[in-house]
Amino acid sequence: MVESSRTASRGRGVVGESQHLLFSVAPGAIWIVVFLVLPSLYLMAVAFMTNGPYGLPQMPLTLDSFEQLAGFGFLGWSPGNFYTLLRSLWQTLLATVLVVMVAYPIAYYITTCRMKWRAIMLLLVVVPSWTNQVIRTFGWMNLLAPGTPLSDLAQWLGVIPPNMGLYPSNFAVTLGLVYNFLPFMVLPLYAAFEKLDTAQVQAAQDLYASPMRTFWHAVFPQTLPGLLAGTVLVAIPAFGMYVIPELLGGGKGMMLGNLVANQFAGGSNWPLGAAGAILMLIATFIGLFAMRRIGKRLGGGEEVVI
Amino acid sequence: MKKRSLQRGLNVFWWLTLVFLYLPLAVVVFFSFNAANSAARFTGFSLRWYERLLGNEQIISAFWNSMVLAIVSAVLALVIGCLIGYGMYRHRHRKLGWLIVLIYLPIVLPDIVFGISEMAFFVSMHRYTGLLQPGLMTMIISHVTFQIPFVALIVYSRLVGLDPTLFEAAKDLYATPFKRAWHFLLPTIKPALISAFFLSFTLSIDDFVISFFTSGPESATLPIYIWGAIKKGVTPEINAIAALMIGAVAIAALMSLLFNRQGQR
Amino acid sequence: MSHATTVAKTTDQGETESRSDSAPQSDAGERREPSSIELKGLHKRFGKDTVALDDVDLTIEAGEFFTLLGPSGCGKTTLLRMLAGLEEPDAGHVRIGGQDVTDIPPHKRSVNTVFQSYALFPHLSVRDNLAFGLRMRGESKKEQRRKVEEVAEFIQLGSLVDRPVDQLSGGQRQRIALARALICEPNVLLLDEPLSALDAGLRGQLQVELQRIQKRLGMTFVFVTHDQDEAMVMSDRIAVLDGGIIQQVGSPIEVYEHPRNAFVARFMGHDNLYAVRASGEDWVDTELGRLRLDPAEQREEQDGWLLIRPETLELNAENPESYNQLQGKVMERLYRGSRVEYRLEVDGVTMMATASNVGQRLLNVGDQVTVSVCPDDLVRVAS
Repeated sequence: MVESSRTASRGRGVVGESQHLLFSVAPGAIWIVVFLVLPSLYLMAVAFMTNGPYGLPQMPLTLDSFEQLAGFGFLGWSPGNFYTLLRSLWQTLLATVLVVMVAYPIAYYITTCRMKWRAIMLLLVVVPSWTNQVIRTFGWMNLLAPGTPLSDLAQWLGVIPPNMGLYPSNFAVTLGLVYNFLPFMVLPLYAAFEKLDTAQVQAAQDLYASPMRTFWHAVFPQTLPGLLAGTVLVAIPAFGMYVIPELLGGGKGMMLGNLVANQFAGGSNWPLGAAGAILMLIATFIGLFAMRRIGKRLGGGEEVVI
Repeated sequence: MKKRSLQRGLNVFWWLTLVFLYLPLAVVVFFSFNAANSAARFTGFSLRWYERLLGNEQIISAFWNSMVLAIVSAVLALVIGCLIGYGMYRHRHRKLGWLIVLIYLPIVLPDIVFGISEMAFFVSMHRYTGLLQPGLMTMIISHVTFQIPFVALIVYSRLVGLDPTLFEAAKDLYATPFKRAWHFLLPTIKPALISAFFLSFTLSIDDFVISFFTSGPESATLPIYIWGAIKKGVTPEINAIAALMIGAVAIAALMSLLFNRQGQR
Repeated sequence: MSHATTVAKTTDQGETESRSDSAPQSDAGERREPSSIELKGLHKRFGKDTVALDDVDLTIEAGEFFTLLGPSGCGKTTLLRMLAGLEEPDAGHVRIGGQDVTDIPPHKRSVNTVFQSYALFPHLSVRDNLAFGLRMRGESKKEQRRKVEEVAEFIQLGSLVDRPVDQLSGGQRQRIALARALICEPNVLLLDEPLSALDAGLRGQLQVELQRIQKRLGMTFVFVTHDQDEAMVMSDRIAVLDGGIIQQVGSPIEVYEHPRNAFVARFMGHDNLYAVRASGEDWVDTELGRLRLDPAEQREEQDGWLLIRPETLELNAENPESYNQLQGKVMERLYRGSRVEYRLEVDGVTMMATASNVGQRLLNVGDQVTVSVCPDDLVRVAS
């Protein structure tokens, strides 16, 4: 009798734990499902619908939007969207490489400084990214506009024709991207440098002697996880960037993000925008997946964020 | 010898990078005091653009929208995210893969996809049910959605860093479940809650893309107003409002520095 | 220290005098009686295959210093956590002070624990840590303050009370953790390897202090450790656990000198165990040959192992004929100051011998040696 009542109460204990999980996690989980998962699924469905008046989606289901995305329209095939995609990939690649080239020495330099300065230096790197993206980009517009010292210099060098500014241009977009994402690369690289096993470096100095070889054999491999994490943090949002190309790029600097956004902001063609979003998602997840694979192969997979 | 020259080179590079990072912001602040309506030539010091700001009702209302959006969304996200973080911690030995995917989704989703998903959802929802008309409400909902993961992860990592026997010690010392939450759990994770709140607040103020796509005609925030003004043609007024926002960030940075100093002491 | 010593002496003699010292419960009015503990058929498994406790029956007397001893994973901590209520048994009952508490949650049990990691709340001062249990029980601020002062004096915390928790050393944390549990005047105090994180010197000091405190308060202490020396120094009784089963319960002397089986013998630090091949009433055959033993000293009847404790071996001593005599050779010498340990080889069998370092000539490696051992000192041990 007693035994059975006690086992029953223990059964209740397990149910209690599950209930607890439900109560604590459910509000947030439901929130994300209702306000993000469902909308995303809806967006995917929109990609397969017909474009109605004012850009709103309608039945029947069709693959028109994907054909449009691929460049097929009333006038036959046009390469505009294809170029936009290529430009997005190129800008992402270029910006990521440039960000690495700036962030790597900076992150290293911070670790060589005295402990009490490091927090301040990191803060100095991060603070600009606390200001709004639009304002930061606006700052670059001010700097690169026609008639500013930078534009005058470029004209004098003959890089741009007279009476033009450095923006709008692809160059301005690249610059904006590098500016925007620099902190995202410095932070993980700094973490990697800080953890650097100096014993390995000293051993390498003994073994290889030349600084270059020491760097490639002892330092660089140890910072790879940080580099990888930074690349994820930079490349993925850069690929989907909207604000910077919109303000600094002009018509010829458009990226995939603008193509997608314009279908919604202008209210012209939701299904086309949704199809573009799907393309962007696919690229994002391929990128994430590839980074994870590389990270795992390097053995530092655990340390890569995401 | 070689090492020292490398160090000197890095030092120069560091200062150049700082110039690169702060020049665009400095230019905005500088030209906000320009007497002339020009972003290229500085003709004289003046506060006229700041005076114009105070008279601009659109800007004032955009400021309040930004504040309401940031505070309300950060509070909501704090409550919901804190619950998830605690749930993840308490049940960390179970398989919670689905929950992890759910939590990382708002982080990995590109802003633009996030924004247009919400927009498509809210607009269609409103059309068919009359609910969720795009405006401050829908912006708050979207902001909470991208803030939740950050709060949850901060709370979770704070809890994981705690000695798990603390929970048992609280039980052992006669604390009922409610008293455990009130006298032990909340005070213990208070620093995490504070930083989660400020991160959420900052994320909200920082966001443009998601706000832009979920806002209604009456609910423009400062970044949306600035965006519109830039698109219509730059006016020095924007320099002034942007300079004020940069100033707010600078104050926040100084405060975080002092806060850290105190924490170390 | 000297203060504590004198009080400990008087306490042993009578209740009236212990009331005059500063023990926390002395003027509390409602003095709590120490409680006995009864465990019946406790069973616990983790996952599918890991049995943490296998049908454990155990009685702990009121006011006893009782130690659960065993290697890691033997179930001792699980057992302790069941007393605290932090772990629920799959089957069986826990009775404390005659009351069945099996289903009572930890915060309703008058039992307190000193945790291995001390588990001091980082967000609270030492003073608030001490008062936490009282505050949770809803005692008045005045009462809390008075009891904190009392316990601080009793445990001799001195100025520690006003320090932040993160500035305390390991030993200081340990004392605060102890005080935080004692201040609640529990019927039973549970201690989960509280000394394992401390260095040897401090550890020895606190072993003595803990034992004194227990004697002075007359509280039931249940102590968990994996260190057999610690267990022997402190305990009234010891339960040796292995594989979720209680192997032996007894006083330190019983467990050390008459281990019930080979596991207990080995765990208590005995190496000289020899398989018994055949035996009679007063003799056994092992690889060492036939040895005489005293039937009166034997607790185990069946054949198993013969235990020869190293300190009972006498080297090159003049002993009566009745002693067992063996010839051996010194293979190794470990000089430990107060004593010397020799690894001997007797008929090709290794044997450890411990000799006191007083009035004896040190033997050298390679020396031939006559080993003699009194039949009284040979103990038969079950498998």
